[in-house]
Amino acid sequence: MNRVVLIAGILITVALVAILSAGLGKDPQHIDSPLIGKQAPDFALKAVGTGETIDLTQFRGKPLVVNFWATWCRPCYEEHPVLVSNAQMMQGQVQFLGVVFQDKEEKIQQFLNERGTAYPTLVDQAGKTAIAYGVGGVPETFFLNKDGRIVDKFVGPIDSESLQTNIRKAMTQ
Amino acid sequence: MTASLGRILVLLSLLVSTTGAVLGYAAGWKRSADGLKWARRFAFAFALLMIAATFVMEYALITHDFSVSYVAQVGSRDVPLWVTIVSLWSSLEGSILFWGFILGIYIAGATWLTRNEHLDYMAYTIGTWLFCGSFFSFLIAGPASPFHTVAIPPLDGPGPNPLLQNHVLMAIHPPFLYLGYVGMTIPFGFATAALLRGRLGQAFLRPMRAALMLPWIFLTIAIMLGGWWAYEVLGWGGYWAWDPVENASLLPWLTATAALHSALVMERRGSLKGWTVTLVQASFLLTILGTFMTRSGVFNSVHSFTQSSIGPTILVFLAAILIGSVTLLAMRIDSLESDSRFEGPVSREGFFLINNLLFVLFTFTVLIGTVFPLLVEAVKGKQMSVGRPYFDSMVVPIGAALLFILGVGPALPWGRATRDQARRALLPPLIGAAIVAIIGYALGVRAPWTLVTLAFGGYAAQVTLGQMWLPVIQRIRRGDAAGPAIIDSQLRRGRRRFGGYLIHAGAVIVIVSIAVSSTMRTQQEVRLTRGESATVGGYTFVFTGTEQKNEPHRVSTLANFDIFKGGGPGGPGGGTKITHLAPRMNQYTAMRDPLGTPDVYTTLKGDIYLSIMNIEGDAVGVNVILTPMVGWIWWAVLLMGAGGIIALIPGSRAVALQARSETPVLQGDEVGAN
Amino acid sequence: MKRLILLLMLATSLVAQEVKIPDAEQFVGKPQGQPVSGALLDQRTNETGGLLRCPVCQGMSIADSPSEMAVNMKHQVRELIARGYTQEQILRYFERSYGQFVLLKPKFQGVNTLVWILPIIALAVGAFAIFSMMGKSGSQPVDEPPVATAEEDPYLAEVRKLTGRQS
Repeated sequence: MNRVVLIAGILITVALVAILSAGLGKDPQHIDSPLIGKQAPDFALKAVGTGETIDLTQFRGKPLVVNFWATWCRPCYEEHPVLVSNAQMMQGQVQFLGVVFQDKEEKIQQFLNERGTAYPTLVDQAGKTAIAYGVGGVPETFFLNKDGRIVDKFVGPIDSESLQTNIRKAMTQ
Repeated sequence: MTASLGRILVLLSLLVSTTGAVLGYAAGWKRSADGLKWARRFAFAFALLMIAATFVMEYALITHDFSVSYVAQVGSRDVPLWVTIVSLWSSLEGSILFWGFILGIYIAGATWLTRNEHLDYMAYTIGTWLFCGSFFSFLIAGPASPFHTVAIPPLDGPGPNPLLQNHVLMAIHPPFLYLGYVGMTIPFGFATAALLRGRLGQAFLRPMRAALMLPWIFLTIAIMLGGWWAYEVLGWGGYWAWDPVENASLLPWLTATAALHSALVMERRGSLKGWTVTLVQASFLLTILGTFMTRSGVFNSVHSFTQSSIGPTILVFLAAILIGSVTLLAMRIDSLESDSRFEGPVSREGFFLINNLLFVLFTFTVLIGTVFPLLVEAVKGKQMSVGRPYFDSMVVPIGAALLFILGVGPALPWGRATRDQARRALLPPLIGAAIVAIIGYALGVRAPWTLVTLAFGGYAAQVTLGQMWLPVIQRIRRGDAAGPAIIDSQLRRGRRRFGGYLIHAGAVIVIVSIAVSSTMRTQQEVRLTRGESATVGGYTFVFTGTEQKNEPHRVSTLANFDIFKGGGPGGPGGGTKITHLAPRMNQYTAMRDPLGTPDVYTTLKGDIYLSIMNIEGDAVGVNVILTPMVGWIWWAVLLMGAGGIIALIPGSRAVALQARSETPVLQGDEVGAN
Repeated sequence: MKRLILLLMLATSLVAQEVKIPDAEQFVGKPQGQPVSGALLDQRTNETGGLLRCPVCQGMSIADSPSEMAVNMKHQVRELIARGYTQEQILRYFERSYGQFVLLKPKFQGVNTLVWILPIIALAVGAFAIFSMMGKSGSQPVDEPPVATAEEDPYLAEVRKLTGRQS
């Protein structure tokens, strides 16, 4: 029995199988965010419809939900009513903001006319705000506490329960 | 009904393969000739069942029988017939059935070709083959079944992924890949049997080498086809991205190439037996790892099949055969006699050993780079990437070293060389090195690694051509006519030698072309409206407008370009039109986003490549990519394949008879010499 | 009256506020290199773009990927290079937003050093193993008669027999 071969072989086997099985069950499309716990990048963008410029800092003192989306994104259609109803429910306690990038203003306006809205929807320029936030795809939702610190990030269409849980986090952290 | 028939055939194949495997191992243990006969019958039965199941599936696909789950998944009435036929392997379940199909054909072929030989080993060999077959039957019968019955069959299906319908290479690349991948099971069977018997003699070497060579040829061409497909279809102008699934196809190729070289030393000198067997086993194990990487959903890749539950099952199989192979190797490796000694590093054997080391290092590096992000995430919980820049940095020196060995190794004689011999062998090819490097420099090459590669390539080219034609030159000097000398030396008697050097010649061209095409590439984004033109790298591109083509499954928008050399049309330089290119944007009915198809003009010097970035009305944004020598790569790999085929053609009867007389005889016949 | 005051406030707020987009300067400071333009700008954009991973494209770099996200990022890279940001600064900026995931070339720090070092260790170990193997069995004095002959290559041997040459 050649010990060197045996030990080397078993080491390689164990290492390989361990690494590969650790990968199982994880979503390879999921990306962690390094911005969690950090101050949210500041921005001031034009709102669709009213045309007024809205600054992120004007909402300090209240928890903030920033939702990145676009009209060409199918799952965004699903989550829109969830966001709108929650925004209406939590009016005064929590501020909601939508940020659209890579899209046309007429399409956004049409979307909001058809489906309603309860909070300002801002238009990004050249996707720069999205890049600053590390947005990989849409939809993505960021939760900021009253000091403007990012508490958590939700990737994909959000449901009411996750929304509530994260808002509670933003309120307490 | 069709689905049930398919399910029955697959279940039967599972039964047959498991029984056959047990039978094979028992027959090997007991050295029973009767057992071997029955194991052979089970092998053929397994093959027949797999072939039948595949035909049932193809029948269901072609007749659009949507009551079969796989057909409902990938079938469509809108797609052309060839797309329907190849959709057999377009999605996970069908692809595993295809694996079983190819495995069945290989096992049947190998069992038939060895029907009169190596009776000592074949029982264990067939047992091993059927053991692997049983795993895949299990997958097809269970976790990855394409034959579920759909309760309410839909009227039509979505069709296979549109990316796979864009180009005819889709029909060729996967079959070649499977023929290469799956084929590694056959030499694995031989190697495992040799280890179980504890003996690896010269007579046994021949079928193992042939069994290794055939899938190697397919795999080499398959990898090239994959690169060519990426180049022609994906639009980024490159052919290799070090994507995890691409790496999965490369890993077994590397160990198989090393194994072929190692086997050469085993034949000539009787040494490196342990290396050879380990490399053969590694080649098979890496195909199972590769199939795990592609199908488990663990790796983020453009090639991945959709995530499925099949991952854990494959991992368990991989772990089992890894442990089994390692244990067997550890037990037997010392008893594989080695009857020669090493004469030192400056000899052909020494260079073969260095060759093995470099290939193993190459394999290890690619493997580490591919799984490292998983490791970091498991240990630290953080995500990181290991991408093209890493692999390019690591692989370039290794590739250059391999090219160096390719040149110096064959120049050295076997055994210890005197200083004088070494000088006479190693100095003249420096002329070739200098010539190629100077030509490269004159044509504009400045990148240091590329110049080094050119020098090594020139050296290797001179050595390879010299060695290749040495027998013919010697005969011509003696007075033989050139024509008959060539045919006799190269094609009738020296096929393995000639084929081998052809492969090396192809390899030199491939490595040099890769180096030049990567470092001398020009890329520029250009935005034009109709009638406008732009000049890139000496060529003028005139955008003449868009047109639309309607097909049942897609709508294509073409952007037409006229390409001129030496100035625009009617301009002061008086340019001549050299070609017309029309890259496309395809909108498939089944997909939301459009898919682009580039258009390429290939010449000996290089390629002109256009790929659409966006079309808005009368304006188009294109990527213009000029890549020198890239077309050489595909053809040089085909040359390698041709060399392999020539080397593979069986030798004369005299050689075969000699092999047979050395075969030990089984109990139950008569007691023969061992 | 109220409406008039509101309108006035709106008008002044419109005039007073301008659109503010997050910029690299907030995160990596002022540009540390020289502004670049022309062909060199294209070349440097491709170089840096080749080191950044498109977050939605399964492993492709932003230089190669046609997806809109990648194109946006590439434009951002181009603009930053034109303003004089160095490659290091740009990589740090993207790493800040997306994490180390976005760097295609692993940073040589922490546990990542392993991926660079392990192959070199493997080479060292392998080379040592091989040369000790060769030294063990083949250490003979140099003036031993050479073993290399045509017999080692049976085919060459046959040819030499046929042609009557011995070299």
